[in-house]
Amino acid sequence: MQDTIVRFENVTMQFPGVLANDNVSFDIREGEVFALVGENGAGKSTLMNVLYGINTPTAGNVYVKGNKMEKFNPSEAIANGVGMVHQHFMLVPSFTVAQNIALSKEPRKGKIFYDLKAAEKATRDLVEDYGLVVDPKAVVEEISVGLQQRVEILKTLYRGADILILDEPTAVLTPQETDELFNVIRRIVKEKNMTVIIITHKLYEVMAISDRVGVMRKGQLVGVEETKNVNERILASMMVGRDVLLDKVEKTGTPGDVKIEVKDLHVTDNRGLLAVRGVNLQVRAGEVLGIAAIEGNGQSELLEAITGLRGIEAGEVYVEGTKINGMDPGKIRALGLAHIPEDRISTGVSVQSDITDNLIIGKEKRPEFSKFKLHLKKSTIARYANEVFEKFDMRGAGVDTKVGSLSGGNMQKVVVAREFSFDTPVLIIAQPTRGVDVGAIEFIHQCIIDKRNEGCAIILVSADLDEVFRLSDRIITMYEGKVTGEFAEGEIDKMGISYYMTGDRSGETAGGGA
Amino acid sequence: MWDQIVSLFSIGLFQNTIRNATPVILAALGGLFTEHAGIMNIGMEGMILTGAFVAVVFSFTFASAPIGVLCAILIGILIGLFFALFVVKLKSDEFIIGMTLNTFAAGVTVYLLRSVFHQTGSWVSKDIKGLPAIDIPIIKDIPVIGDIFSGYSIFVYISWLLVIAVWVFLYRTPYGFWMRASGEHPKALETAGIDPVKMKVLASVLCGIFCGMAGAHLSLGYLNCFTEGMSASRGFIAFACVVFGMANPPKVFGAAILFGFLQALGIRLQSVGIPSDLTEAVPYLATVLMLVYITVMGANKKRNRAKKAMAVEAEAAEQ
Amino acid sequence: MKLLNKIDKRYVLTLIICIFVALLCGALIMLVTGFNPIKAYQTIITGALGRPRLIGNTLEKFMTLCLLGLATAIGAKGGLFNVGGEGQLFVGALISTMVGLQLSSLPAPLVILIAFICAIVVGGFYAWIPAMLKVKLNVSEVITTIMLNTVAIKVTTYLVNGPWCSDLVSVSKGTDYLPDSLRLTKLISASNLSTSFIVGAVFTFLIWYFMKMTTVGLQLKLTGENARFAKFSGLKSDKIMVGSMVASGAICGFVGMTLVYGYNGQMVDTISTEFYFDGMLVAMIMNYNPVGIIIMSGFFAILNTGATMIDMTMGISTQIYDIIFSILIFLMAANKGFVEWFAARKMKKQARAIAKEKAGKESI
Repeated sequence: MQDTIVRFENVTMQFPGVLANDNVSFDIREGEVFALVGENGAGKSTLMNVLYGINTPTAGNVYVKGNKMEKFNPSEAIANGVGMVHQHFMLVPSFTVAQNIALSKEPRKGKIFYDLKAAEKATRDLVEDYGLVVDPKAVVEEISVGLQQRVEILKTLYRGADILILDEPTAVLTPQETDELFNVIRRIVKEKNMTVIIITHKLYEVMAISDRVGVMRKGQLVGVEETKNVNERILASMMVGRDVLLDKVEKTGTPGDVKIEVKDLHVTDNRGLLAVRGVNLQVRAGEVLGIAAIEGNGQSELLEAITGLRGIEAGEVYVEGTKINGMDPGKIRALGLAHIPEDRISTGVSVQSDITDNLIIGKEKRPEFSKFKLHLKKSTIARYANEVFEKFDMRGAGVDTKVGSLSGGNMQKVVVAREFSFDTPVLIIAQPTRGVDVGAIEFIHQCIIDKRNEGCAIILVSADLDEVFRLSDRIITMYEGKVTGEFAEGEIDKMGISYYMTGDRSGETAGGGA
Repeated sequence: MWDQIVSLFSIGLFQNTIRNATPVILAALGGLFTEHAGIMNIGMEGMILTGAFVAVVFSFTFASAPIGVLCAILIGILIGLFFALFVVKLKSDEFIIGMTLNTFAAGVTVYLLRSVFHQTGSWVSKDIKGLPAIDIPIIKDIPVIGDIFSGYSIFVYISWLLVIAVWVFLYRTPYGFWMRASGEHPKALETAGIDPVKMKVLASVLCGIFCGMAGAHLSLGYLNCFTEGMSASRGFIAFACVVFGMANPPKVFGAAILFGFLQALGIRLQSVGIPSDLTEAVPYLATVLMLVYITVMGANKKRNRAKKAMAVEAEAAEQ
Repeated sequence: MKLLNKIDKRYVLTLIICIFVALLCGALIMLVTGFNPIKAYQTIITGALGRPRLIGNTLEKFMTLCLLGLATAIGAKGGLFNVGGEGQLFVGALISTMVGLQLSSLPAPLVILIAFICAIVVGGFYAWIPAMLKVKLNVSEVITTIMLNTVAIKVTTYLVNGPWCSDLVSVSKGTDYLPDSLRLTKLISASNLSTSFIVGAVFTFLIWYFMKMTTVGLQLKLTGENARFAKFSGLKSDKIMVGSMVASGAICGFVGMTLVYGYNGQMVDTISTEFYFDGMLVAMIMNYNPVGIIIMSGFFAILNTGATMIDMTMGISTQIYDIIFSILIFLMAANKGFVEWFAARKMKKQARAIAKEKAGKESI
């Protein structure tokens, strides 16, 4: 029961520009449910992808059942009895359940032909053996997400896995489906003596299912604890770390009129599932509303709905008193809104264009930059771009540098410079300093506060809690598409708020820190 | 008028249908592999043309049709590997490479024909050995049926068998499943321990072989000559058949037969005064409409599924 | 000097090397097949530029390639791939011919103007269909335009050899000839070069101007580069994409008209022998850069016209042009592929080196 089955030894995973795992060492024991928790980008999935042979670590060793991993490919992992259920399912949509389960290890008739009947029978046997009910003949694209996940689990079992990695398995499940999944996990651990590693950031799940829990933060392992020795508050504080004492920023002025109002908003995600479920909020002039949430809890969809990038299912959004339902981003921007998107490369810039073009877009039809809204005044534009370039202290060869070749910090400065120079009364800001160097962070924070002090209404979403605390006048927490708490500045600390980000606490008394 | 219409449907019409359809069937079956492996292959035109040319050159040189066919298949393998090198390994734009392959094949074949073999337009020679016509025993003696289904070169029968063989390969062997997975969800295949790149290369090579055969049939099947630009858009028709037949071998076969029939009918209709060009345009227009239909249906299916999922969720929430 | 700074020097260098290698490959092929490549290349130059008439033909070819290349570039800059230029060219040529023949009683300048408008409208419309299908229904524009090409060519072939075929015995095939009053004036006598070159040059300038110097060009470029960013910035990306495709089709329609009014004089089913694809490939080689397309069109026009001469005098088939052309594209694609492949490998190695260095420090 207590034998070590997996050992990570000084595992380091360096991606170009990102240190995803930093010297991680720990053991996983046979027959336990091990929960790996941490915020997004803490390096949990990367580490598990190492164990499954998708990532080859840049340093360190991994041992499975005493065998040192050499090749780091999925075949080796499968041979070692490791199976992984990815967050994004690895199922071929047009294949049946049985065909997906048997993929790459198909039973054969006469060496070359695929024995489909045998695959179905094998699936049925697994279904009975493990009690994971699913129709072997159903086509995967036509079954629910919960069932698809079962197929994924069965797929690993078919390959003879006895170490099962589940990467955020409950992110896509309904509460009932989650309960069912947990029952399955308990059963396979108890009856089949399997080892289960579950990646999650929902802390009640950790308490409900795991024997031991490892906490990761910024690529490092913070600690491994027996689950019975900790509680959600302790875990939450381990996840986020101590409060970083940033210099206080000077906030002046008092809140004015309501500039943004969101009423009972419902928005769906790319898969057509509800991601925002009845959010209400208001932001006043001269106020920063911080939204604290772990990625994937509806905050991205909320901002996209407010800025017109995503359709609204139900509810209303008002910007400067005008209802914006059904408007395109251009019209909403014309009402007086600017937006720093969460993913600058896919949304915030064109990496193939130079700094000048990226700075001028949206303003190109202003009389100072074009004649008759058509002929670009190139020299004026160049002068303007150079001014902004100097003012925002961008470093690069010059304004004709391609944005794609800039560092994260400088690229973000291009976005901030463009959006802030619209001088709009409403600003929607997401992840303003992700992947940005320290100097640029300070600069961007000061820009945001200046805007606030000038009387802008600002919504700020950030995965960096220190940032949210430093800049916000009010903070709301979101969890699974709903607002789970609202706090004024100073009313709560980081550890306290992480508790509200990791579960629906509406049944408990609000407020208070750890 | 009625007599005229009846006279259209002669045995010759059906024979021509099969003759016209065969190279398209072969190429389209090849295109099925690349389509399933997730490669948009519009280079089939060039592959067919090269196959046709090489078959004639070697049939002429060695005075042997089988050697001609074999060399057409070998060149097909080489072109398939060449195509895969760019599209799969170097991740070049599949459209550009396919298009350039067509230009290159058209250029090289005509250049060699004119400047090396000193023939212009077409190359006819008694030394170009063609494939013999083969009669199927029993069937050949049945009236009408015998005329329609018997007496073609070997590739006609091979193409019919290959429809079944390709279907069996794609839907009844593990390799077919891997190939389809490599196009539909390469990561799923990779995490299952099989390299999708290998399957894509295989698909590309198989496509080369099939197009090589299509070319060999075109030049040695019944005319025994090579003509400049001999493929005459058959590669594009084959591509259209793959789209039109929704990448399913029997349906693609049906599409090729339908297109072949339209072509044969077009030639017949000329005698009644209806030009063949109009009937020849029909397959292409039909493909556009089919593509629109498939795309819209696909989008609807996705939307309905999302709606269904939402309804299930809402129901669960109510409970 | 400032302009020089903006040019991607590395790209130009690779391009020059690739052209050199492609010409070398062409020379090798000629050598192996028993021809003298040095003499062949000399003949190409003299055959394209040796006499005023030849220069005229080269210039005409240059303008056709250049306009069609720019047409591809406009579509591609907006994010849509117009493969249907050949079909748009055919419908443009057809409609303008019919307008000319039907309205020949009106004053010539007016007829030419009407024909011009019809050519660009019909060409544009023929590109609008696949553009709308793409934007509204997400139907692949590459496949639809390929298919619509053949539809246009086949229908045109039917019309010019059927109902609209000339009744005159002197005309072997195709429509009636346009009256001389409608034929554009030749700039160099006996050559293919007509006043359409001037209009083409104006078009070229306007396209360059719009793409490089106006708000429209800026919006088009950013939409093509990153459609999501364009939408985010408040641009009407759908309209821009459709508009770029229509503009591309309109240019192709215009080119169709110049082929008829410029030198052919009548509409035949061989009015263009895949001219659009040549232009498209030029545009691809040059990464859709307008200035690059203009320069490269010149190079290929010389090669193309000169190839006719080596065919006539040395017996080297004109197809050597297609061969060199496609080898060049393969080389460019291979270069791009290898460069990216090496870059990825280098990145991986660097990451490993950083990790090792770190591990080394920690163990000390």
